[in-house]
Amino acid sequence: MASFILRRLIALIPVMCIVLVIVFSLVRIIPGDPATTLLGPGATQDQIEALRAQLNLDQPVILQFYHYVVGLFVGDFGYSLKSGQPVAAEILQRLPATIELSVLAVIVAVIVGIPIGVLSATRPNSMFDHVTRLVSLVGVSMPAFLLALVLQLVFATTLGWLPVSGRVSPYLPVEPVTGFAVLDGLLTGNLAGALSAVQHLILPTAVLAAFLAATLGRFVRNTMLDVMGEDFIRTAKAKGLRRRDVVLNHGLRNSLLPAVTIIGLKFAEMLGGAILTETIFAWPGIGRYMFEAIKNRDYPVIQGTTLVFALLFVLTSIIVDVLYGILDPRVRRKMG
Amino acid sequence: MKIWNGIVMAAVALPLLTSAAFAQEDAKLKTLVVAVPSDPVALEPGTNKAEPIGSEIILNVFDTLVAWTAPDFKALEGRLASSWTVSDDGKVFDFKLREGVKFQDGTAFDAAAVKFSLERTKATNPYVKATFDLIKEITVVSPTELKITLSAAYPAFLSILAQPQAGIVSPAAVEKYGDKFASHPVGTGPFAFKSAQADTNVVLEANPAYFRGAPKLSQIIYRVIPDASTRRLELENGGVDIVQQQGQLSAIAAQDIEALKANKDVKVLETSSQIIRQLEFNNSKTDGPFSNVKAREAIAHAIDYDGLLQGVFGGTAERVYGPLTTNSWAFNPKMKELAPKYDPELAKKLLAEAGINPSSLNLKLYSFQGPLWGAVATFVQANLADIGINATIEQTEFPALRTLQTSGQFDVALDGRQPWYNDPDAHITIGYLSSLANTAMTFRMPQDKALDDMILKAQQTPDMEARKQLYFTIQEEIAKRVPGAYLFSPKLIVFARSNVEGLVVNSAPPLNEYWSVSKK
Repeated sequence: MASFILRRLIALIPVMCIVLVIVFSLVRIIPGDPATTLLGPGATQDQIEALRAQLNLDQPVILQFYHYVVGLFVGDFGYSLKSGQPVAAEILQRLPATIELSVLAVIVAVIVGIPIGVLSATRPNSMFDHVTRLVSLVGVSMPAFLLALVLQLVFATTLGWLPVSGRVSPYLPVEPVTGFAVLDGLLTGNLAGALSAVQHLILPTAVLAAFLAATLGRFVRNTMLDVMGEDFIRTAKAKGLRRRDVVLNHGLRNSLLPAVTIIGLKFAEMLGGAILTETIFAWPGIGRYMFEAIKNRDYPVIQGTTLVFALLFVLTSIIVDVLYGILDPRVRRKMG
Repeated sequence: MKIWNGIVMAAVALPLLTSAAFAQEDAKLKTLVVAVPSDPVALEPGTNKAEPIGSEIILNVFDTLVAWTAPDFKALEGRLASSWTVSDDGKVFDFKLREGVKFQDGTAFDAAAVKFSLERTKATNPYVKATFDLIKEITVVSPTELKITLSAAYPAFLSILAQPQAGIVSPAAVEKYGDKFASHPVGTGPFAFKSAQADTNVVLEANPAYFRGAPKLSQIIYRVIPDASTRRLELENGGVDIVQQQGQLSAIAAQDIEALKANKDVKVLETSSQIIRQLEFNNSKTDGPFSNVKAREAIAHAIDYDGLLQGVFGGTAERVYGPLTTNSWAFNPKMKELAPKYDPELAKKLLAEAGINPSSLNLKLYSFQGPLWGAVATFVQANLADIGINATIEQTEFPALRTLQTSGQFDVALDGRQPWYNDPDAHITIGYLSSLANTAMTFRMPQDKALDDMILKAQQTPDMEARKQLYFTIQEEIAKRVPGAYLFSPKLIVFARSNVEGLVVNSAPPLNEYWSVSKK
């Protein structure tokens, strides 16, 4: 298993190199240069030229690429053209917010999605099955921004239970320690701040989790229905096992394998969805950071965030493969 | 058992939380939350490039020597300067400075600090190079007296000194923080910088020792909320106190403004801006249909200006009659009569006189992106169709549109200018001086010695009344040349919770000062 993980990690290097070359050239193919965009419509050519020189954009692209790659080896992602701050530091500052949101969303999706799938599979075509099918359909097909707006309108504006946006109430600032707002609130003894952070987490988590939970629920239901028709299930039942053991140990365990793939794939997709969710909920994560950077043609930030997303994507797929090995002895043997 | 644990925990936590809630209510009344779409850039005069959010924060943290007087912003008043005189040749400015003013770090403000600040901005800020390079010498006469000598007369210089880039910084703080001064800005203003969290907020706290008196608020929180509909919901919900439109055409649609006006918890403050949006011709082009002034006049008469203001903007924009807005101190009232009126029949006649068959014209109407620009373009397109001209709309991303404009690859385009300082120079010189035609988004005026000379003379005439008369003539001269059709000027709109009092919306540039603001 260890050598398998090592091999996969080494294979990561060429993948990241290709991503780097593609992103570096793509951002420069998009028309419009950062100096023009940053200064806006009122600027004169002199002002733009002065800023281009200040940002080293007047250097040849090859030279810019060379400097960038050399910098990467020492962990230097360059400086944001907009803020002038180091990109690596800016990403690290925003990463906890994205991780907090997406990991929580996956947990919620798994806790909600899998039991729904199991229950629907054990009662196919029952009322419960029909209702969850309908809800899942809505969950899968409703665009995130619309779901976000509906939730904001219902739970924040109409009922007043939850805040509209943000990460913590501006009146209860949480001193950053780890960057995870809830944890920081607890660590600094700011209970009200921690509670406020929890309240702020609910709506964006719900939006992010909805799609995954719905997909997962339907997926588990269908694979489980297939598995429950297999011979070994009949054997298990014939041995006189309790229904619960049959469903959970034999049925669910064998349906989980494809579900893990789905979770892995959708988790990566969810990071993309985080761009929208973070923007709507004013959530200070890297998805929104990247979106702003694309608007501003902030090359080093676009490159840096894309590399981070690519890395998360590849790491997720490695984790999925490892989970496969844990869940399925046949795969484990092949991994060596 | 577990349930009991939970109940006990809740009983212990409840008083804690409610006392926190009371503290929160009190803090709320002393705190102003302002929603902004993105992080401010360059929170200090030495690097600020007229980006609106950073500029507004600077004007609340720093003071300038002079400032525009509220509420109509037509005359300058002293801030850190108590008075000043200008020499007859317009090159020497003598300032008397206020005494006893202290920076937020406790150090004293004096003439040396002004010299230090202005020379620093001149050296570090390429955005103001063109104007700050005019400064030949800054002399400290005494701690309260300062002399600035320019290399050429430039009466708009005082206007430049009212800008955020000319804010006076604490020399001691600059020395202490060096490159990091933008993360620890220190000025003499009513609010001191407290903290900033990326993509989250910037917090300012009251400076009780402020020389005009302590502000009524104890803090201002600029909350970064990128999505316009979220900003609206937050305002309606009371999560923020102020949402600014900032003169951007894409910010909030007219129907949203109507809905907010109907909300009794929200008040809508409107004021005229000096922003101009126009349909402009490529005036440098010597061939093509619009090299004939009659054809340009025809287009100017084809547009239903009032229809545009009502139909697309629902009254949130105003009519523009010429190269300056009506609220500019140099606006020539005669322009109201001289401006072309909507008259499609006259337009058709003028086209015929110019020898143009409208159906032979296939115009590409270039425009910025965004739904509101799209609506403006569609409106103009329909007006052109009424006189038989077929136009296709090309909404282009800003940098690409700029390239098209500066390289002159267009016949007609929608464009606009937001002057970054309060002087007619900001519209007239960049927009119409022929030597600047390719250097920015301008009207691309052709070589025209008579007009150019007049523009340069107006730019350099020290006597304000003589200057005003020159701008009057310039406006009429430009109108004769019909370089474009002046479509509208968007109003500056600030949405505030109804308990916010004392806010005056600043018109040029649209940067608000919160010193006088309080919450009921």
